[in-house]
Amino acid sequence: MHSFLLRGNAVLTFALTVLAVACVLASLTDTLHSSKPEVNVEILSVDAFGRNPGGNDEVVLTLHISADLQSVFTWNTKQLFVFLAAEYESSKNVLNQISIWDSIIQSKEDAKIHRRTRNKYSFVDQGSNLRGKDFNLTLHWNIMPVTGAMFSEKRVLTGFRLPKNYM
Amino acid sequence: MDWKGQKLAEELMQYMLVGWAIAAFLAGYFRTSFQLMMLVYAGGVILTVLITVPNWPFFNRHSLKWLDPDVAAASINPVKTKAAASAAAAGKKKGSRPK
Repeated sequence: MHSFLLRGNAVLTFALTVLAVACVLASLTDTLHSSKPEVNVEILSVDAFGRNPGGNDEVVLTLHISADLQSVFTWNTKQLFVFLAAEYESSKNVLNQISIWDSIIQSKEDAKIHRRTRNKYSFVDQGSNLRGKDFNLTLHWNIMPVTGAMFSEKRVLTGFRLPKNYM
Repeated sequence: MDWKGQKLAEELMQYMLVGWAIAAFLAGYFRTSFQLMMLVYAGGVILTVLITVPNWPFFNRHSLKWLDPDVAAASINPVKTKAAASAAAAGKKKGSRPK
C-alpha cells in the first residue's frame, strides 16, 4: 500500500468484491419472499374459427385477462415476462402448448393487468384437432431478477372449450 | 505513507467498505429499492477512496528512522565496511521517502 495507485487499485477491487457478495445476499433474500398472485382469464367471444391457408386449424379469440401480480415483485425484481399459453391434448401430441399473448411488466405499479384484447399470437394447431377441443389457459410469468437466478411461476385455468364446428 | 500508515489505510478501507455495504444492503432491503442500495454503496466507496487513498498527514505520523550511514557501516563486518558504506548511502537516497 505504498503508492497512490496501489491503494486506489486495492480499494476498487475490494469494493467490487464486496458488492458481488452483497448481490449474492440480495438474490438470496428472494427465497424469503412469498407472493399471492390473483389471475383470471375469460374468453369473451370466438371471432373466427376455421382452417388457415396452411391447412391447419386456427381460432381467433377475444380475451379478458385480469391479473394482480404486484405481490410477485421484490426489491430484486427487474421485470416480469408474462405470457398466456393455451394447452390441449391431440391425437398426435400428448401436450400442445401455444403462446397466444404476452407482456413485459417493468414495475410493481404496472403489475395489475386488466386487458381486453384479441390473442396477440396466432392460436394455430398442427392439423385439424381443435373442433370441440377442451383446453386450459395457463398464465405463466418469468421473474427476472436484478441479480441472481430467474424463476418461473404459473396459474392454470381449466374448463375452456372451442366450438364443435367451424364458423 | 509510513508502514503504520499503510496498515491503517488498509484496515480503514476494509472496515469502511464492509460497513458501507451492510448499511447499503439494509437501506435497500427495508426500502425495497435495489437502486437505493447501489446509490448508498457508491457514496460509501467514494468516501472510502477519499479517506484511504490520498497521502493524508495522519498516515505519516510514525515516520521511519533510517540509520545514519556511518553507524550502519560500523555495525557491519569491518572488511566490507567500504562497500557497505556506499550501499547504505545509495539506500538512504532511494528509500527515505516512501509515498
